[in-house]
Amino acid sequence: MVGSPRRVVLTGIGITSSIGLGAAAFWNSLSQGRTGIKPITAFDASGLTTRIGGQITDFDAKNYLDKKDRKSLRIMARPIQLAVAAAQLALDDSQIDKNKLDPTRFGVEFGAGLMPTELDELVAASRASTNGQSGKVDLKLWGEHGLAAIPPLWMLKYLPNMHACHVSILHNAQGPNNSITESDVAGLLALGEAARILRRDQADFFLVGGADGKINPLSMVRQCLFGHLSQRNDPAAQACRPFDRHRDGTVIGEGSGVLAVEDLGHAQKRGASIYGEIMGFGAAFDRGCTGRGLARAIRAALAQANAKPDDIGHVNAHGLSSIHADAWEARGIREVFGDRKTPVWAGKSYFGNMGSGGPLVEIAGSLLALKHGLLPATLNYEEVDPLCPISVNRTSQPLTNPLFLKISFTEMGQCAAVVCRKWE
Amino acid sequence: MKHRVVITGMGAVTPLGHSVAELYQNQLEGKSGVAPITLFDASKFPTKFAAEVKNFNLGRWIKNPERWADSGANSRFAAAAAQQALQDAGLLENPKIDRTRCGVYLGSGEGIQDFHNMVYLIAQSYQSEKNAVDTVAFTAGGYERFHPGREFEQELHTTPGHLADYFDLEGPNYNCLTACAASSQALGEACELIRLGEADCMLSGGAHSMIHPFGVTGFNLLTALSTHNDAPAAASRPFDLNRDGFVLGEGAGMLVLEELGHAKKRGATIYAELTGYGSTADAFRITDSHPDGRGAIACIAGALADSGLKPSDLGYINAHGTSTQVNDKVETISIKKVFGDHAYNIPISSSKSMLGHLIAAAGAVELITCVMTLRNGVVPPTINYDTPDPECDLDYVPNQARVKKVDHVLSNSFGFGGQNVSLIVSRFKD
Repeated sequence: MVGSPRRVVLTGIGITSSIGLGAAAFWNSLSQGRTGIKPITAFDASGLTTRIGGQITDFDAKNYLDKKDRKSLRIMARPIQLAVAAAQLALDDSQIDKNKLDPTRFGVEFGAGLMPTELDELVAASRASTNGQSGKVDLKLWGEHGLAAIPPLWMLKYLPNMHACHVSILHNAQGPNNSITESDVAGLLALGEAARILRRDQADFFLVGGADGKINPLSMVRQCLFGHLSQRNDPAAQACRPFDRHRDGTVIGEGSGVLAVEDLGHAQKRGASIYGEIMGFGAAFDRGCTGRGLARAIRAALAQANAKPDDIGHVNAHGLSSIHADAWEARGIREVFGDRKTPVWAGKSYFGNMGSGGPLVEIAGSLLALKHGLLPATLNYEEVDPLCPISVNRTSQPLTNPLFLKISFTEMGQCAAVVCRKWE
Repeated sequence: MKHRVVITGMGAVTPLGHSVAELYQNQLEGKSGVAPITLFDASKFPTKFAAEVKNFNLGRWIKNPERWADSGANSRFAAAAAQQALQDAGLLENPKIDRTRCGVYLGSGEGIQDFHNMVYLIAQSYQSEKNAVDTVAFTAGGYERFHPGREFEQELHTTPGHLADYFDLEGPNYNCLTACAASSQALGEACELIRLGEADCMLSGGAHSMIHPFGVTGFNLLTALSTHNDAPAAASRPFDLNRDGFVLGEGAGMLVLEELGHAKKRGATIYAELTGYGSTADAFRITDSHPDGRGAIACIAGALADSGLKPSDLGYINAHGTSTQVNDKVETISIKKVFGDHAYNIPISSSKSMLGHLIAAAGAVELITCVMTLRNGVVPPTINYDTPDPECDLDYVPNQARVKKVDHVLSNSFGFGGQNVSLIVSRFKD
C-alpha cells in the first residue's frame, strides 16, 4: 500500500455456506465444482416463482458456541447465527490466542442487511389484532392484546448491528465496531474500512464479516416481487450462470464469510500463517450504472496497490447472473482491462447471492485458490454473451499470479473493489 | 500528513423545525417537540406519544417529490435535509466541483414495513392443526398484497443510493446502521475518508423514523420508552431523578464535510472543524451498557486524543442523554472519569429532552446543534429537569439556555448493543 507504514494482512477464514461449513469443506466443493444451489426445503416454497436457493441444510449454531454462550442464540436471527459461527471459525483458523490480544485493539466490522421477522413469532399477536377487515389490523386490539403476545426481546433479534455486537461480546472485542448496510457491497466496504482503521493504528486485529439469510418466506416473496431472480427452477444447479448468454436472473444464497484481518507486524510477531495482504481499496457510485463508476473504483484500488491491469492474475467478479447487472459489470471490467484475457471467476455460480455475506466468502475463494494454486471454474458458463466480452474461466486452471482484484456492487450503483496479494 | 476536515453545509428536518435555524432557535427556547402520536392509532399502546416531524412537505425542497413516492419517511427526510445542506454549502449543480470526489456516508435507518398487510397475512395464513403459518398461503398473499416498490424502499442501501443519484455524488457511498450511534459513526468515518484524501466532500448524517406500530411495539416490549402518557412534553427528562425511558423522535440531519484546502479554494463558508472522533465497543451485553462506562470512557478519551485537545479545552458537551435510568447515570460516570474535576465546570445538555430520540439520525442532528452552539455562543438547555438525581450531579444546563462562548464541543452517541461514538467540533482557526 503506497505511503502507509502499516500493512494489513488476512490471517483467518471462517465460512458458513451452502457448499461447506469451514474453509476446508468450502474449498473441497469449489475445487470439485460442486454447487450448493438446490430446491428450497427450509419451508414450503411451492407457491413461489423461484423455489431454489443456496440453502444451508446442516447448520447447528450450537456447535460453534461455548455452552455458557448458547442461551444468546435465542435472540439471534438466522443470519446472526451464521455470522457468529463464521466468526468463531475465522478466529480458530487464525490461531490467535485471545488472551494475548489487547481487547481495546480488537475491532469488529460486519456487512449486514434487513432481517425479516420469523412469522410464527407474530402469530399470537396477529390473530389477536385482526377483525376480519381485509388488509387491516385493529391497532387498538394490537396495542391492548397483540403487543404483549410477542417475545420481549423480539426487536433485538433482527437489528442489523447485532452481528457485530454479538461477536464483540462473545470475544471481548472492545475496539472499533461498525455495521455497514449497503446490500451486496456491504461486506467489501466493511473490509475497506477495517483496513483503514488498522492502518491508522487504532486496532491491531479485526474480525470483518458479512452475513445474510433470505431463504425464508417473507424475504423470498419480497425478492420474487423485485423481479430479479432466476426462474430456472429445474435443474436448480444450472440456474446461476454469471455472464452466460442464457442467464435469466440471480439466485439467493445464505451464509456468512468472516476474515481475520490484522496488522502485519502484529501477525508476524505472533507467528501467524498469512493468506494474503490487502494492497488497495476503492469505492465509488456508478450513476446510471454505465460501468464508469465501477471502473473508477477498480482504478482507485489498483492505484493504491501500485498495480496495473497487467499485474492482476484474476478478477473475482460480482457475477450476479443478472441480465442487466452482468453486462454492466463487464463494461466496467472492460473499461479498465481492455482486451486483456485476464480470467474472471464468479463464485456466485456455486452458492448464489449471499447478499452482505457474499464479498467476503468470495474473497476467501480467491485466497484458497491461491493457496492451492488452482482457480476454480465458473459453473454454467456455456455460451459467450456478446454483451459481456470478458474472459470468464469456464474450467478450473492453474493459478500462480499472486495478485487478484475483487469487485462488488449493488444494483443501485454502490461499487467497491479491493486488490489482494497472496502472501509469499 | 492527514488533511483537516471542516463543515461547510448543514440541513435538518426535525420535530422542532425543518431547518437548522428553527431547530436551534426552538432548542434555545426550550420547546418540546413531543406530543400524542398522530401517525397511527397508538391509543392502546403502553406509550402513546412521540416527537413527530410536523407538516412535512418534501415538495418544498425537491422539485420532483414523486421520485420518493414509494420511499419511507427516512429517505424523504434525508432528501430534504440533504438538499438544504448541499445548497448551504454551495454544492448543488456546481460545475466547478469534481462530483467523483464527492461521496455519501449515512447512518440511515430502514424504510417502514407494511405493518397492516404483513400482520393481516400472518393471521390469515395461520393453520391451527400445524400451529404455524402456512407458508404457501403466506407467500401467495404476499404476491397479492405487497407493493414491490415500497418493499424495495425498505432496503438499507436505498437512502444513500437515492442521494448519490439525485444530487450527483459519485464518490464512495456508505451506510452504517449502528443503532443510536449510527449517524455519528457515519460522520466520524466520513471524516476519516477525507483525512486520507479519498474524497474532497462527503455528504454525511442520518435519517430515521421508528414511529410506526412495529417500532413502538419493539421498544415498548424492551420497556425502553417513557410511559408518561399524561404529560408527553414532560416525558423526556434526561438526568432528572424521575426519568423513566426515552421518547421516540424522527427526522434527518445532514452535514457537508469538506477538506480544508478544497473549502478555502472555492471560498466556502466554514462553520466549524471536525477535530476528534472516537469509536469503541462495550463488548458487554446486548441489552445493557457497561455499568462502569468502560466503552464510553475509552470512546470519549479516544476522541480527545484524536483532536489533540486537553479536557479543559472543552466548553460544552451535547450528551447522548436518552432519559433512561442507566444511560444517563453511566454517561455521567464516564464524563467524570475522563474530565476529572473539570467535569463540574462543563455545561452538559441533552437535545433529546426536546427532540426525543431520532435513533440513527440522532447523532447528526445533535452535532448540528453543537456547531450552532459554537457559532452563536448560546448553550441549549436540558428541559424537564426538575429533581436532581444524586447520581447525576453535573451541570446539565437545566431548563434555560445559557450564554457562553465555547471553542470546542463534544457530542456523545451510544448505541444499543454497545457501539460508542464521540465527536468533537471546534471553532475554525486557520
